[in-house]
Amino acid sequence: VSTTIDSTRFGRIEVAPDSAIVFPHGLAGLDSRTFTLIARAQDDAFVWLHSLEDPALALPLADPRRFFSGFALEPAPAEGAAIYVTVRASERIEEFTANLRAPLVIADGIGQQVINEAPDAELRAPLFAELAAAAAEQAA
Amino acid sequence: MLIITRRPGERIVLGDDIVVTVMEISGQTARIGIAAPRELPIYREEIWEAVKAENQAAAAVDADALPPVPPPANGTSK
Repeated sequence: VSTTIDSTRFGRIEVAPDSAIVFPHGLAGLDSRTFTLIARAQDDAFVWLHSLEDPALALPLADPRRFFSGFALEPAPAEGAAIYVTVRASERIEEFTANLRAPLVIADGIGQQVINEAPDAELRAPLFAELAAAAAEQAA
Repeated sequence: MLIITRRPGERIVLGDDIVVTVMEISGQTARIGIAAPRELPIYREEIWEAVKAENQAAAAVDADALPPVPPPANGTSK
């Protein structure tokens, strides 16, 4: 049996039942507890954490290590857990940010938003700063 | 709101598995120790508010708002 979501963003989506991710304590400021991860393209830099309860609720997530080479999570999560950070969009690419202070840790279908005690974990870290710097270096 | 007076070293027990200890009071600062199940989220209030704002901002992102990102260079971990 699979679940369908009539996503306001992506239209009808089939969700395999074993792909549900439960956040027992929810996410601060949001009303859902059951989500799934949606990748729109293979190897996309972003995935969407989509609510299975609210068709209009979805958050873009990024793998922090793809954008922040020095990323660290303290205390360290369990071995094998997936780590994502939420993404805040903007009209200007320089103003996209990721929340390194409160990453999402997902393992075995259970998710948790944790507080990162690493000293340089910014609440709004410029998402594309490293990529832009690398591109500028290549152009020079 | 329940208001309780405690001295340093004294504790408050919440339910079966949460114990709050007043560790130290120094001037305007109180150090609080909290023993609770590991999965229970505990936030300083101002951080909770900030995380809430970031979560809500992320939930407001449109499906087509994310720019394409070049694939990771060879040799970088996935």
